[in-house]
Amino acid sequence: MLRGKKLTAILLVLVMVVATVLTGCGKKTTQEETKTTPTQAPAAATTAPTEAPAEAEPETDADPNQLPRTETMYFGGQQWGVINGWNPLGDNNNNAMALSASGSGSRTIMFETLYMYNFLDGKMYPLLADGDYQWNADMTEITVKINPAAKWSDGTPVTAEDVAYTYETGVKIGNNMGNSNKPYIESVTAVDSHTVVIKSTLTEDGKSTNPLMLVNFLGSVYIAQKAWIQTVEARNNNDASAIKADPADDVVYSGPYGPYYDDEQKVVFKRNDAYWGQDASLWGKLPVPKYIAHAIYADNAATEAAFKAGEIDVNQQFIPNIQDLWLKDGLPISTYIDEPPYGICVNIPTAFYNLEKPVLQEVAVRKAIAMAVDYDAINANAMTGQSPTFKQVPRSFMNPTDGEQSMYNHDEVKDLQWVGNDIEGAKKLLDDAGIKDNDGDGWREYNGQKISLVAACPNGWSDWQASMEIVAAAGEKIGIEITTQYPESDPYLTTVTSAHQQDFDIFMMWTDSASPTQPWGRMRYLMSSEFNGIEGNWSGNYGHYSNDRIQELIKLIPTESDPAKVKEYYTEAVKIYLTDVPSFGLMYRPDKFHAVNESVWTGFPEQGDGLNIPPADCTDGYGIAALYNVSLIQ
Amino acid sequence: MKGYRKYFSKKIVWFILTFIIAFLLNFALPRLMPADPVANIMNKTARGLSDASAVKAMYDNYVKEFGLDQPVIVQFFTYVKNAFRGDFGVSFTQYPRRVNDIISSAILWTIGLQFPAIIVGWILGNVLGALAAYIRKGFDKVLMPLSLFLSCVPAFGMAVILLGIFAVKLKVAPIAGGYGFDLIPNFSWAFIKSIFVHYQLPFWSIVIISIGGQAIGMRSMSIYELNADYVKYSRFLGIKDRKIVGYVFRNAMLPQVTGLALSIGTMVGGALVAEITFSYPGLGTTMLSAVTSSDYPVLSATTLIITIMVLIANFAIDIIYGFIDPRVKAAQFD
Repeated sequence: MLRGKKLTAILLVLVMVVATVLTGCGKKTTQEETKTTPTQAPAAATTAPTEAPAEAEPETDADPNQLPRTETMYFGGQQWGVINGWNPLGDNNNNAMALSASGSGSRTIMFETLYMYNFLDGKMYPLLADGDYQWNADMTEITVKINPAAKWSDGTPVTAEDVAYTYETGVKIGNNMGNSNKPYIESVTAVDSHTVVIKSTLTEDGKSTNPLMLVNFLGSVYIAQKAWIQTVEARNNNDASAIKADPADDVVYSGPYGPYYDDEQKVVFKRNDAYWGQDASLWGKLPVPKYIAHAIYADNAATEAAFKAGEIDVNQQFIPNIQDLWLKDGLPISTYIDEPPYGICVNIPTAFYNLEKPVLQEVAVRKAIAMAVDYDAINANAMTGQSPTFKQVPRSFMNPTDGEQSMYNHDEVKDLQWVGNDIEGAKKLLDDAGIKDNDGDGWREYNGQKISLVAACPNGWSDWQASMEIVAAAGEKIGIEITTQYPESDPYLTTVTSAHQQDFDIFMMWTDSASPTQPWGRMRYLMSSEFNGIEGNWSGNYGHYSNDRIQELIKLIPTESDPAKVKEYYTEAVKIYLTDVPSFGLMYRPDKFHAVNESVWTGFPEQGDGLNIPPADCTDGYGIAALYNVSLIQ
Repeated sequence: MKGYRKYFSKKIVWFILTFIIAFLLNFALPRLMPADPVANIMNKTARGLSDASAVKAMYDNYVKEFGLDQPVIVQFFTYVKNAFRGDFGVSFTQYPRRVNDIISSAILWTIGLQFPAIIVGWILGNVLGALAAYIRKGFDKVLMPLSLFLSCVPAFGMAVILLGIFAVKLKVAPIAGGYGFDLIPNFSWAFIKSIFVHYQLPFWSIVIISIGGQAIGMRSMSIYELNADYVKYSRFLGIKDRKIVGYVFRNAMLPQVTGLALSIGTMVGGALVAEITFSYPGLGTTMLSAVTSSDYPVLSATTLIITIMVLIANFAIDIIYGFIDPRVKAAQFD
């Protein structure tokens, strides 16, 4: 790949010289050249592409037709900046298409998980696994069978040993996967070459610490090859940091695509035509696109322009008023649903209150601000209608999917709900609490001091900034001064994740999306006091709320097997959440925006197509099934 | 010759001193920013961790890996030692990528875009400015307001306008990248053509703006010189216009040469706007993200390169001045 980069550089210098000479001849010449030269070398795969004999050095037989448009599916909005590596044991590969592990469905085009999570039905579908996983009677261990057909890219079979060794290594070297699973998983053991047993850590009374986290493991953790891990360990002298930092150019993988080309402008994957998944036990065929490519764009605007121009087929990006692209511009662009909210919202961007601020320890102030915010304006301005409203989906910590909504009793919390823009109600709440404007300056006081709050989110996150402006406007309407601050994202996140902070009073953060651990994980994320006082807390409850009953419920829910009881617990938790208002959701949002341009490919998942494939950018969790269903547009 | 030697040795001492101070600042200034250099990578890698001790272990590991657990003075000497070997360490945000790798993959794109653009903009601007001053009349009446207008257009404005017109509306130029989105670098005409085509909009977005500024400067200087006594006297003596214009051009060009040298010196900083608008590869966006995420090694390395280039450019100006302006030469030897 290095040769390719050098070649690019040399050609660039040549062009530089040519351009200088040409421009020396006069401005007109070059401009005319620009106008007469065709923009792109488009589809035009008239000649059959030559097969690349060795994937390691694809540029040796380089040919401009190596990425025929009709064999390549282009992605957008996932990869930002140059990739750092291919290491499934590392934490900072910045290689979004290859390595994006997530409870809501890991991206499995190159590395594979045991199961694929489908957020449409909340079910797990086998990938490397063979059939459903089995719980033991007291729900302390899961048994998974490995598909005997599963093979690594080097042709060797995927075994239970690989699964066990991947986990052991993660714990040993302390990577994110190991660290995040260690509190819940006691061991991952290979019983025989195709049977894995995952044992839970146990509470004092012998119950599983959290069975949900075991299920989460199945759909999120990439399995690496034991032999390859041992090679990496040996060449790095078993040094944990060095193993994690290994760029892993020689990595062995089990997924349908492998590395083909990468530089500062793109990353390209090529289908492994020997991929084991064409076995009848899994897909029964190969994924349709031969190449998967992602150009590296500088920002959202460039990505959007490329998407409109048909240079991106599947795009993960928030595009305001996306319906205009097909309604007004007549482009062959579509979303999973062809009417608002256009996608499946699974996430609730939330405004947290800093509960270390005395005035915000007053529930009336918290609830009054939350009641006064005009959520319809946020939906209209920040989300351009791409979110269900709080009238359609009343607030709780459940996302709008039917599965999560059915997990609490709506009627029991009906009286606690608010839909927003209730200025009079908010004013009354404050007045009743004795928080009034006593000096007549138009602003309410608390303990004799004018209430003045700072609302913040990272700079450049425009939909979030629009939301914060609407929160500030709500404050003004009820006599509470709220000013906005938009620091850069790194200092912002450093502040928000610190054990104590006085800089921001109302600040936005995302929440967990759909996954097997939800809505329990989101409830914990929003309210668990176990994260309070931790320096560098990336786990949630950034406003440092504390409630003993919530802590009990957080412990009870994962180990409760009676659905009615679980529903009762969740209802109680929602009641507490809506009563205490430690934070409040501002909108519903998809985990991944999913829009497709059908200039070249068609057959993408759509609501009501009966395929049950989630709109997960054709790559995440069970969403990858889309790659086996697409076809060329005729 | 003795004068020359004395002059240059004095200059060299000053340059070395400037370099040392700049070197210290390159190291110190990024570290004075009120941000946590580990925040960026923690944001990317610690998400989802719920075990406090694991988060702390991860944080401490990065601090150790980046050498931030050492006293600043130790960090400085490590930096000096490595910098002299040409090793700038690992990037904090793109860890485990090395700074040398980041810079080497981007710098040729930056120079390839900036250097010709600066030269072409400078030459065209100066020629047009000098012509406007000399011809006056209609030419000047059109050129002057046009130059003023162009020089006032912000760089992002020009880039967005060019992108909007040529790439989005007319579809005669590509939208993004340094070469075709559907190509893999290879030695073929299609690829060379693609590089050339992708080069045009970013290139002209820089050139057009600099033409305006250069033309205004050159025109003012030339008008000033054209009214100088020596020009009038030369005319009395009946010296040919051509010859006089030569004198004028040479004198008027002096401040422009300084400007050129400084532009070349700072060009490694990248054409940020062009890079962002056209998603063109280069160092500009790398530097910007290094600033926003306190990536000290990347910042120190890139600013060091800029420092060295500016110093070299300044040194070159001093030498060139001696040749093109006898007055400076005379003063230097005093």
